[in-house]
This record gives sequence, C-alpha cells and structure tokens, in this order.
Amino acid sequence: MAAAAWRSAILRRIRVPVETFSQSGMPAWTHPLRGAAAVRFMSSHDDHLDKTEVIDRVLSVVKSYPGVDPSKMGGLNSLMDSFVLDEQVTPDCHFQKDLGLDSLDTVEIVLALEEEFKLEIPDKEADKIDSCGIAIEYISAHPMAG
Amino acid sequence: MSGAVPSRAEVLSLFRSLLRTAARFTDYNIREYARRRAIDGFRQRRGLSDPSSVAAAFSDGKSQLEIARRQAVVYSVYAPRVKSVMEVKTV
Repeated sequence: MAAAAWRSAILRRIRVPVETFSQSGMPAWTHPLRGAAAVRFMSSHDDHLDKTEVIDRVLSVVKSYPGVDPSKMGGLNSLMDSFVLDEQVTPDCHFQKDLGLDSLDTVEIVLALEEEFKLEIPDKEADKIDSCGIAIEYISAHPMAG
Repeated sequence: MSGAVPSRAEVLSLFRSLLRTAARFTDYNIREYARRRAIDGFRQRRGLSDPSSVAAAFSDGKSQLEIARRQAVVYSVYAPRVKSVMEVKTV
C-alpha cells in the first residue's frame, strides 16, 4: 500500500521529543541522579526500516534483474528464456531453486541490494544470502540500512 | 605459471571484487564497461572444466582486478566535474 510507505517515510523524518516528568512535577532530565538517562539526544533506536518497505524494495530489485545468460544469446528465442518472471518472485523465493539463477547471478543480486539499501555487506555474510527471505531478514536487522 | 586451481568460493570472491571495483569508477562509461566485461567474462568461462585453463582464467582475472583497482584511483584523481548525462536523475 502506498499509504503505508508514505506513513513510514514521514514517521521516520519526524522526531517528536517526549517530555517525561518525575513525581515533583519537574522534567525527568532535571533529576539529579537519573536525569541524564531520561533524555536520549542521539538515540536512533526506532530508526530501522519498516519491514514491509524492506520487502517491497528487495522484491523490486530482484524483479528488475535481467537474468539473461549472454552465452545463450542467439536470435529472438533467447529473449524468451530465463527472464525472472514477476509471479515467481515471492518474499521467500530461493534464487537458485525457485528463480533458476546461478551463483554469479546471486552475487550480482546481492550487490544490487547493497546499492539499493546503501549497505556494505562483508563477503562472509553475502555468501549466506541465497534467497529473498534471508535477504529481507538481513536487511531488516541491519542498523545502517537506508 | 598459472598457479593453483581456485576453489568455487575464491572464484565468486573474485567476481564480487571485480564488480565492487567497477562500481568505484567515477566515469560512467568505464564503470558500466567494467561491470559488463566482468559479467560477460565470467559467464563465457562458466563451463570450463580443465584445471589448467581454470587456473589460467583465474590468474587472468586477478591481474585484471589489480589493474582495475589502480585505474579506479587514477580516474578519481582526474575526474571531471561535469557528470555524464546518463547519471542525471531528474530531467
């Protein structure tokens, strides 16, 4: 839903300061002992991306992957093979088992996801990402995903 | 002197390094070419089974990676301020 994407995009940019008050009616941050902990100026705790937005963007990256093998090029009939079809791309599709891609395609897709979410995924983690589900989990859990 | 036969993980790691290095070029044309060439080069040699040719192709790729890394730095030093029209997001 576009409305949900708008909502999460706006909520991410508005930061409303919450004022908590102690028993004496003074703001919590003035408490001599526990005051500093009540104000978190640099907290980005709720800055994570919305899960639905992550799913949408991951699936759109996978869908726009051409997936055509140039060694199979030869006339128009080659355009009919091995395109990634829209119906096949589900939030839990496996790149190699469901979409018929190979390991080179997987590397390319992971790099395209890195570009989309402005991440730098180390090789060890990138090797483990071989399905849409794992990609979505990894990106949702990554603090720097943008 | 082609060296040892690379493992599958090493080949994929070389592919990833080449694509990452390609992405760092400042010039749009070189960047796209490096990416295309890396993808085409690996796809064409997908079916290689003979160990010596696999090792030769791998060391070939590694030397190309070194060249690309150096050139990315050199290009960035002399990068023109005007970007290619293909990189303009809004018209």
